[in-house]
Amino acid sequence: MLKKVTRVFDENKRFSPEYDEKSTQEIAADMVIKAIGQRTDLSFLGDKSPLEVSPRGTIVADQLTMATNLPGVFAGGDVVTGPWIAIGAVAAGREAAISIDRFFKGEDLAAGREKMKLLPEDEQDYNPIPKNIEQAPRAHMDFRGAEDRRHDFAQFELGLTPEQVAAEGERCLNCGICCECYQCVEVCKAKAPAHDQVAKDLNLNVGSVILAPGFDPFDPSIFETYSYSKHPNVLTSMEFERVLSASGPYQGHLQRPSDGAEPKKIAWLQCVGSRDINHCDNGYCSAVCCMYAIKEAVIAKEHSHEPLDTAIFYMDMRTYGKDFEKYYDRAREEHGVRFIRSRVHTIDPIDGERLRIEYATEDGEAKAEQFDMVVLSIGLQTGPEAIETAKRLDIDLTKYHFTETSSFAPVGTNRPGIFACGSFAGPKDIPQAVMEASAAAGIASIDLAESRGTLTKEVVYPLEKDISGQSPRVGVFVCNCGINIGGIVDVPAVRDYASTLPYVAFVDDNLFTCSQDTQAKIKNAIEEHNLNRVVVASCSPRTHEPLFQETIREAGLNKYLFEMANIRDQDSWVHQGEPEKATAKAKDLVRMAVAKAALVEPLHQVDLDLTKAAVVIGGGVAGMNAALNLADSGYPVHLVEKTDTLGGNARFLLNTWKGEPIAPYVEDLAAKVQNHAGINLHLNSQLTHAKGFVGNFVSTIKTPQGDLSVEHGVAVLATGGHESKPSEYLYGQNQAVVTSLEFDAELKGDPDLPKKMEAVAFVQCVGSREPERPYCSRLCCTHSVESAIKVKENNPEAQVYILYRDVRTYGVREDLYKKAREHGVLFIRYKLEQKPEVAANGQRLTVNAIDHVLGRPVTFDVDRLVLAAAIEPNQVKELAEAFKTPLNAEGFFLEAHMKLRPVDFASEGLYLAGLAHFPKPMDEAIAQANAAAGRALTVLAKDQIRVGGVVATVDPSKCSVCLTCVRTCPYGVPKIKDGAAFIEVASCYGCGACAAECPGKAITLQHFTDAQILAKEKAAFN
Amino acid sequence: MRLQYPTNIKIIQLPCSGRVDILHMLKSFEDGADGVYVAGCMEGDCHFLTGNFKARRKVNYLKGVLAALGIEPERVEMFNMSSAEGPRFAQVAREFTAKIKELGPSPVKKAKAA
Amino acid sequence: MIVGDSKPLEEILEMIQDKEKVLVLGCRGCVTVCNVGGEKEVGILATMLRIARKKAGLAPTVDERTIERQCDPEYIEELAEVAEGYDAIISIACGVGPQFMSERYPKVPVYPGINTTFIGGALEHGVWSERCQSCGNCLVHNFGGLCPIARCSKSIMNGPCGGSANKKCEISPDVDCIWHLIVEKMAGMGRLKELERVWPVKNWITSRDGGPRKRVREDLKQ
Repeated sequence: MLKKVTRVFDENKRFSPEYDEKSTQEIAADMVIKAIGQRTDLSFLGDKSPLEVSPRGTIVADQLTMATNLPGVFAGGDVVTGPWIAIGAVAAGREAAISIDRFFKGEDLAAGREKMKLLPEDEQDYNPIPKNIEQAPRAHMDFRGAEDRRHDFAQFELGLTPEQVAAEGERCLNCGICCECYQCVEVCKAKAPAHDQVAKDLNLNVGSVILAPGFDPFDPSIFETYSYSKHPNVLTSMEFERVLSASGPYQGHLQRPSDGAEPKKIAWLQCVGSRDINHCDNGYCSAVCCMYAIKEAVIAKEHSHEPLDTAIFYMDMRTYGKDFEKYYDRAREEHGVRFIRSRVHTIDPIDGERLRIEYATEDGEAKAEQFDMVVLSIGLQTGPEAIETAKRLDIDLTKYHFTETSSFAPVGTNRPGIFACGSFAGPKDIPQAVMEASAAAGIASIDLAESRGTLTKEVVYPLEKDISGQSPRVGVFVCNCGINIGGIVDVPAVRDYASTLPYVAFVDDNLFTCSQDTQAKIKNAIEEHNLNRVVVASCSPRTHEPLFQETIREAGLNKYLFEMANIRDQDSWVHQGEPEKATAKAKDLVRMAVAKAALVEPLHQVDLDLTKAAVVIGGGVAGMNAALNLADSGYPVHLVEKTDTLGGNARFLLNTWKGEPIAPYVEDLAAKVQNHAGINLHLNSQLTHAKGFVGNFVSTIKTPQGDLSVEHGVAVLATGGHESKPSEYLYGQNQAVVTSLEFDAELKGDPDLPKKMEAVAFVQCVGSREPERPYCSRLCCTHSVESAIKVKENNPEAQVYILYRDVRTYGVREDLYKKAREHGVLFIRYKLEQKPEVAANGQRLTVNAIDHVLGRPVTFDVDRLVLAAAIEPNQVKELAEAFKTPLNAEGFFLEAHMKLRPVDFASEGLYLAGLAHFPKPMDEAIAQANAAAGRALTVLAKDQIRVGGVVATVDPSKCSVCLTCVRTCPYGVPKIKDGAAFIEVASCYGCGACAAECPGKAITLQHFTDAQILAKEKAAFN
Repeated sequence: MRLQYPTNIKIIQLPCSGRVDILHMLKSFEDGADGVYVAGCMEGDCHFLTGNFKARRKVNYLKGVLAALGIEPERVEMFNMSSAEGPRFAQVAREFTAKIKELGPSPVKKAKAA
Repeated sequence: MIVGDSKPLEEILEMIQDKEKVLVLGCRGCVTVCNVGGEKEVGILATMLRIARKKAGLAPTVDERTIERQCDPEYIEELAEVAEGYDAIISIACGVGPQFMSERYPKVPVYPGINTTFIGGALEHGVWSERCQSCGNCLVHNFGGLCPIARCSKSIMNGPCGGSANKKCEISPDVDCIWHLIVEKMAGMGRLKELERVWPVKNWITSRDGGPRKRVREDLKQ
């Protein structure tokens, strides 16, 4: 039965229906569904409550104060308003709280109060949504159809699809806004969160700015045919790095993301987002992907339990870096990585987890293979924030969004004083990025030379206490590290145990031993208890030892009178489930530390004066740039050149790859060097002997005027290289066969020479990438492509051929390759085992090669055959012996670390630059020269060098002069002097290898003496 | 990463694995160690160029010494790991402990107890 | 220098099996230089002995000491106060050491811890090779500076013999035929003709074959 509704809403527009009980109607139905609402349940008040209740069954409360008719009783929320939104209830609660506060204070509840209202927009306390964020509509879920729904009460909303869920997640702005609940402050025992800290604008006065914003990895989602965003087993190379990483999602176990199975076949696709102007605007080569793909393939094979098949699909294999070609050879020949020259168009997901790749072989045959995973070797590009920064700073960028730089100032920008380094200045690998970083620092220091040291502050320590003759008095400070240690380890028990150990004179435990107030406590304890050794049982010495050493220094103790027991990283963190055993181990670790502490002795570091002067060997572009950088920074330089002319190879070059003419630059550079008051130029000279160590070298320079003894603090070796003389392709037998540099010289003499020629061919890798010289000479591809363009521009009718193995126009140089093809230069690939053949044909030459596209022999006649001859290092055996600097198998100088220390030698104070390191174009040689200067300046800028501390010392009375130390020191530091071994304090690196090898136990490594190590070892057991 | 491993591993810090002396390891066995291992940098990545190679040679030599003493040579090992490889450190600690547990207490200690 | 090799542990243990207090005595001379008998090796051997004895359930006393040289009485004398407190002394020096020690301290049994192997030099760290047999009549200058006495398996003066093949001696592919090297060296110096001289049978009287040797310098004798 239905009754008539006479009213739906009441006078306050609230839902409050009234009915006419008399006007009814009857409907027959099989089922009745009630749409139920909510109402208040006031039964708790009882029948005789004096509380005023509305006809709707809600409690009546004042809208402003939430006061009911009973003084002291307040009401709010749905019980007052009827069903309403939660935020309204929150507001009512707050208003009621204010009223209660006033009520207790006896104040008027309503005086001066207004009903809460929304703040004007500019006062609202939330982060506005950034304007550049596109509005994304909310996802709408599907419903079951009406027909379907008629039959049951099952949920009619079908839910969101996984894609919709992901899309909804994407809508989150990650605004990271804090709701100020202060729970973080509550739980943090150190009270580290500071809610009153806000972003501040700082104004800094600086002399120069260095931009190093890095790159963004290319997002391959736009390649529809690669299924990257659709298929879990298609990964980017960055993601695959994480797969291989021990700290990655699979703890370093190689597995397929879709199902966790170990893959048996993995493919890499090169040039995704690089060398591509169809899908993206990245026409350049990203310079690093070939090498990282090979590395990933080799490491994946090493990680795999089963034999793993790896295939790299590529266009040109660009392993042009130092020792990269050897790595490529080993990957191919020893590890069995397959290299397939083919650009893959589509990755097809097939049944199950696998992926299918169709490709064309070099012979043009169509093939298809299935893989478990496909890795996209994504390129490097400048990120939007870096582009924004450049705009803000008025820094010009290229069309590819890299900084616009000159080859002669590779880390410069269009604004003086602002420098750029790393991939922001063009895609590059780690060593090159590190070089540019040091180069930027080196160049920036020229402008800063005058103000150097003006803003530094010196720390003053109290006079060191003399503890000689004192028995050890050890103070032990055990740290809770909040709950990090104390939550597992029974810290008071460890503290009490420590007090029972020999020589322990004081113990304490702290919530945070590293906090500022605890430092004061430690200092007081040292004073009060006359402590002469301190042990802190807390965390890692790697992070905290310097802090505690500083503290005890401030209390007048030598910083070596300190020892740490790591009861967090080595105990509480890694034995969380075994608190009792962890406590026992903490006691063991403290006992071990105390045992060593009782034996530690003060060590005194000595400050040595240094000679603030540099020697630079080599007067080429690298040597001159290093010399100028150092001299302009205010330090005298001896520049040693073995010939009678400055300029080196640059004198024979025409243009940089960017087209800048080289001759005027080199002339200007040489003039600057010659006229610089701070540069002492020694032409026709050689460095014959060197002795000493960083800061204090004494070298002999053989000059035409006689031997000269020079004192210097650092040396830069930039001895250069040269173009080798080919022994093939009729070189030396036929006038028409020339090297790249010889062809440059011809063009310099007669710029219209190409007009007189019908055809020119360039042959790449002449003497490079062969067993005899297993490296890529790096610069020749660009050089030949550049020369080919020159020929074509002068004589568009000329036929120009480049016979190559891989075109290695890395980085933005790729544009030249494209330009050459547009000019109609013909690129013909040859294989090492099938080199082109050349025969004399009158004044001309006939070239025979196999065309890689047609697979057929091609024959053509040329007027000139230009050989891209390998670059060799100059002979530097004597110099290397003088400074004891190592050379690699090919005679290039060997740096301290291929990736991270590309301009340092392992021995301090010695640096390298230019072709002596590896073949490189001029811009890179200049960057490396500035980098060497930058590194050298870190030594020269100091007033003294601090030596000693953890170094090896010799007891001459126990030395049998057996030479063991001389032969085993990795740095060649020990010498025999006055009938015993002698270790120069300033040169010792403190590794302790000699101490471990000395058969007479005459050598001691300070702070890690046998007695100290053995005391610690013995204490581990009882 | 706080990866768990058994509590019986106790670390003695050295500036370089090249600092370890055969004597240090041998004394540990004398003093009651059931096993000793040297954790050095990855080969080719020694901070001091060649210390880890020297350490490996010493460990191999010590294996011969232990064998002569009638102690299982597997009680001493050399492992290479980088400082970024927490999981490997924990794994080595667990595996080495498991191996030593399988071998039982050192014969030096057993005799002492007897 | 005199080059030696550590004696097998088993052999040393057998020597001292019934001795309670043992001293391992090193020498800072040749044996330290060839990494076999210096302070470090003393520590290693002593520790090995302690471990072996602990293992056997014995309470060991194994002390360690290294003196400047065991081939000079004055240094041996440094042990005067302690030597007789030991039940055994293991000398890790060349064969001179145990003898000098026994002569000076007749009451204490002294055992050799090293097998003295040869007079030689280091080719590189950890590799030593024999160069001299102390024959008492040096003739190396006639053979390009290479000694056929010490370095030819048969010590022949007119070589090579029929056992020389591919530059190696027939006794082992690891042993160079010194005569091959002598011929090469002399040829390289243009002195091949000198090798045409036929050397008479060597008089071994100056060598060990003439009985134990002793050398006296009257001018130095006090």
